[in-house]
Amino acid sequence: MLSPEQMSRVLIAAPKDVMEPVISELHRQRLFHIEDFVENDQEEYAGYRIGVPLEGAREISKDLLRLRSVTGAFSLRAEDLDPSGKIRKSQLTAQIEQELPRIEMEVEELLSRRTELENHVKELEQKIEALTPFSEMRADLSLLHGYRTLTVFAGYLAKKVDIGVPCEEYFSESKKGNFLVAVVPVEYRQEVERKLLDAQFQAIPVPDEPGPAKERISVYKVQLETDGKDLEEIATQIDALKSRHSEFLIACDELLSIDAQKAEVPLRFATTDHAFIADGWVPSHTLSGLTDGINAASGGRAFVTELPIQKGVDVVPVEYDNINFAKPTQFLMDIYSRPKYTELDPTLVVAIVFPIFFGLILGDVGYGALLLVASFGLRKLLKGSEGKMLLDIMRNASISSIFFGILFSEIFGFRLPWPSILPSRHLNIGGEGGHGPAIPELMIMCVWIGIIHITAGRILGILNHAQQDHGSHRVRAMLANLGWIMVMWGILVMIWSAFPMPLMPDLTGFAPLVMGLSLPVIIGVLMVVPGVVFIVRESALELVELPSILSHVLSYARLVGVGVSSVAIAMVINFIAIGLIIEPQLENITIFGAIIIAVGVVVWIIGQILNTILGMIGGGLQSLRLQYVEFFTKFYKGGGKKYNPFGEIRRFTED
Amino acid sequence: MVGEELVGLTPEMIEASQAGMKAIGAAIAVGSTGLASAAAEMAIGSAAVGATAENKDVFGLVLLLTVIPETIVIFGLVVALLLIF
Repeated sequence: MLSPEQMSRVLIAAPKDVMEPVISELHRQRLFHIEDFVENDQEEYAGYRIGVPLEGAREISKDLLRLRSVTGAFSLRAEDLDPSGKIRKSQLTAQIEQELPRIEMEVEELLSRRTELENHVKELEQKIEALTPFSEMRADLSLLHGYRTLTVFAGYLAKKVDIGVPCEEYFSESKKGNFLVAVVPVEYRQEVERKLLDAQFQAIPVPDEPGPAKERISVYKVQLETDGKDLEEIATQIDALKSRHSEFLIACDELLSIDAQKAEVPLRFATTDHAFIADGWVPSHTLSGLTDGINAASGGRAFVTELPIQKGVDVVPVEYDNINFAKPTQFLMDIYSRPKYTELDPTLVVAIVFPIFFGLILGDVGYGALLLVASFGLRKLLKGSEGKMLLDIMRNASISSIFFGILFSEIFGFRLPWPSILPSRHLNIGGEGGHGPAIPELMIMCVWIGIIHITAGRILGILNHAQQDHGSHRVRAMLANLGWIMVMWGILVMIWSAFPMPLMPDLTGFAPLVMGLSLPVIIGVLMVVPGVVFIVRESALELVELPSILSHVLSYARLVGVGVSSVAIAMVINFIAIGLIIEPQLENITIFGAIIIAVGVVVWIIGQILNTILGMIGGGLQSLRLQYVEFFTKFYKGGGKKYNPFGEIRRFTED
Repeated sequence: MVGEELVGLTPEMIEASQAGMKAIGAAIAVGSTGLASAAAEMAIGSAAVGATAENKDVFGLVLLLTVIPETIVIFGLVVALLLIF
């Protein structure tokens, strides 16, 4: 349970003519993690070469490429689709021959028409943009072109300017600026140019169009509208095609991808002229099943053998081996890092502790229930195994949140009908009265949790080193971890003997024994000193880490800090929405008052939803961080290679 | 001097001003540590986003690195809570 699945290294050797059935069997079983063969000069590999793809690989790849261009146009994804049934391979292969080219042609035609129309739309929009400045001018635009004796100026000006030469001009002021069109005899051109330059003239080209600008714009707008309608129609046609063929296309994709995978897998094998060798890993308990399957597929002509694992040389792929309850938490482990093969797998511990921390932070029956409903409701939206794992984690966390809500007597920041069983977190907001939160007790509760959690981490550290290391280093590393535990508890005993604290043993009453030191202090010193010696023996540099004992234990105070602030936000929302908005209106209900009450209800709902989201993010991240930073750093390294067996789960097709 | 200043103050007023001082102390504790966390997370956060854009696999790790300075503000919050209650 606390260690990964046991693996066996397997070598499969067989003549090349049974390669295809062996590959198919490996793919069907989905157990064999292939170690890629790399050509090298080692003696035992002399004469072996990397294999070549199976026959037909090129055609399959080509088909797959064509298919992907269609599914790409439809933006189809297999995860978004629920299969209605499985299609047989032989049936599908025939359909691929007949239907795929037809669908491809239809899609291509639609796509090229769409591109054409989109280009046309862009062109029209550019024309309209060029015409817009001239839209208020009633003159025919064709009159502004093609003169030898006249020059036309058109553009925007910073301010109105007197051109001062004989000319025809049109001037308009608008939000976009001062627009000027002036037709000037050629001989005054330079003079006018200078004057316009002084007025910060920005020339724009005169569109080459017949008739007044306004008329042309309306003509183009009509064309735009028709294009828009055509585009819409194409979109509906594409949608219709998509909904008609999506399952077929995805099934084709699955079939062809699997065929491509199978055809290309010899690139990972070692081959000679007549035989091939596949090297890889399988979970030990499946070895006999794999052997039987391969023997059946090859007619007894394949040779399957188990090799011993070479410690320190082989990188063993890691597959989790957890009970069902802890399985979703593997997602959180993979975010950090997969355990190494020789390492303890703390998934189960995290699966238990993470929801408890989450509940301690967001201990509220209302929020817990909301998140529980959400974790079931979101199942339709979030597909894929990772999404499902995340929702399972959320479900566990929200159940824990409800449980701690009952203990804290909290529902949406209100009190439940019983007093808080754990130290209360209710604040004194809106003159509610009462004692206020029991902060010292809560804080010490969290410190206790921290001490236990960290001690557990160190104990796992001792076990890890016992399992992984050898010789004198093994003993030193184990003792160093023990040293950390002794230093932490020694400091604790000394603190207890100096200050009385709630929820902690009071050791202040002991009389001084030697040199003014009481018995608990002496015990504390006797724990700290050898502890430090153990740590130094492992690595003297670790001494600078000693203050981290304090900071890591105090870090668990976030369980109170974030929790109480979440309660505070909830109570403030209640006070604003109910105490300040709704209650004053209830004394004397009028129509206007009813509206105010409705506003109050909306404020309350929005506020509580926001606080739920904040609580979920805060509770999730903070309790995750306590696992990753405070817990894992004590024993966990990670960095294992993921077990990735050759094969794929067929959802849409079958052999 | 001190005696003169206290003339005209009732015990209630003194108590109220003490409560006010506590509140100000708590505010400084949360506010300054909040700013400190923000400053630290600013640099880490932007680097984290950059790293995630390069390689999605590091998301978990950089998320972790980003929330590490959160500890500062949480200590501030703890101090504030202990001051007030």
